[in-house]
Amino acid sequence: MNHLILKSLILAGLCLPAAQAFDLGQELRNAARDLKKPGAASSLGGYSETEEVAIGRQIAGNLLGASPLVPDKKLQKYVNNVGRWVASQSERADLEWHFGVIESNDINAFAAPGGYIFMTRGLYKQLKDESELAGVLAHEIAHVIKKHHLKILQQSRMVDLGGKLLGKQAGGNDNIRNLIGSGAEIVSRSLDKGAEFEADRTGIVLAARAGYNAYGLPGVLQQIGHSSADDSSVALLFKTHPHPDERLAKLDDAMDSRFDGTGGKTLAQRLYKIR
Amino acid sequence: MQFKQMIIVAALLVSASAQAGESATTIKADSLKAKPFSDAKVIASLPVATRVEILKKEGGWYQVKSPQGSGWVRMLSLRRGEARTGSSGSELTGLASLASGRAGTGKVVATTGIRGLNEEELRAAQFDEKQVALAESYTTTRAEAQKFAASARLTPVQMNYLPEPGGSSK
Ligand SMILES: [Zn+2]
Repeated sequence: MNHLILKSLILAGLCLPAAQAFDLGQELRNAARDLKKPGAASSLGGYSETEEVAIGRQIAGNLLGASPLVPDKKLQKYVNNVGRWVASQSERADLEWHFGVIESNDINAFAAPGGYIFMTRGLYKQLKDESELAGVLAHEIAHVIKKHHLKILQQSRMVDLGGKLLGKQAGGNDNIRNLIGSGAEIVSRSLDKGAEFEADRTGIVLAARAGYNAYGLPGVLQQIGHSSADDSSVALLFKTHPHPDERLAKLDDAMDSRFDGTGGKTLAQRLYKIR
Repeated sequence: MQFKQMIIVAALLVSASAQAGESATTIKADSLKAKPFSDAKVIASLPVATRVEILKKEGGWYQVKSPQGSGWVRMLSLRRGEARTGSSGSELTGLASLASGRAGTGKVVATTGIRGLNEEELRAAQFDEKQVALAESYTTTRAEAQKFAASARLTPVQMNYLPEPGGSSK
């Protein structure tokens, strides 16, 4: 029995690189302890929204432990305003969405399950107008509504285990902490290319639905794309996402000429100037 | 006060000029239009690999100066930036080499940037309750977001999601 647990956890580790983030030894002890409890039988199935948010919150807290928020309330409020407006155009409009700009000169953005979305100061500084901000956030919002990262967690044996723990003792933050552990590598987990292109296509539409010019995200991708691939500030982004040129080519195919006439606002004046 | 205004003006000029004067190359053949609309008058046709100078950006369009004259080209028909050092036509192979190089191999060693956020840092990240609570304190409600949007006359547009290109509906 213990051998089986061990094996499944090792398997989980193999198919979920983010699991490296955990102290595997600690995980094993926790898992073994929890499995001894009654009612720990397997129950497959998705997470409730409450569970998803709890998982996302833990991951968000871990990420913020690595890079805290930029200490600028106006900036944070502004990004939440734009993000929430874009998210309001999605099928998860009533989720409690959280957005933030974090202290890092890297160029990147992250989505955790349950609506926790962060972008780096480095990426924010690349933005030329509000439609570009909306486009970047929309790509991340799309990851959340399509549950791309949650599915990775769910697919792993470890989270199957976690599902039981969560289901058994609702609201137990300790359990979620044990499940997710420390580390926030999951937010930068490479998804398959299809998921990234889907997030791009979905994001384009969400931004356009919000009244923005649809070319905000392509504009940012073009800007990032001509950064040198050797530039360490884009290393992680380039590792976890298809190259911007490839994403732009896919978007060109998907958008075709559909957005030529839709107009939409760019709002360069309203873009909050980061200090 | 005047000094402050001068700084603001200077800052605006700098940010406006960041785009202008930059070079770009067509990554596919497209037409040069008189205006930034798909049904605008065609001024000339630009073959693939035409070097242009970007004058202005407007939505999905760039106003450019090309050997065939000045006009507007769709943003996604261009690749921005200077040629990847020198040799003509090398840019067109750029996509392929980049895709199969760094992004494709999966063997990238994360480099440590200054205040970067690399994989080791993410892996070692420790939960920060204060920070996550602070992040949540900035949350905007749906109603507040609606007000924020209205203040810039952002109005919702009905639109379906895009089908996957090359899928059944293409
Ligand atoms: Zn993504």
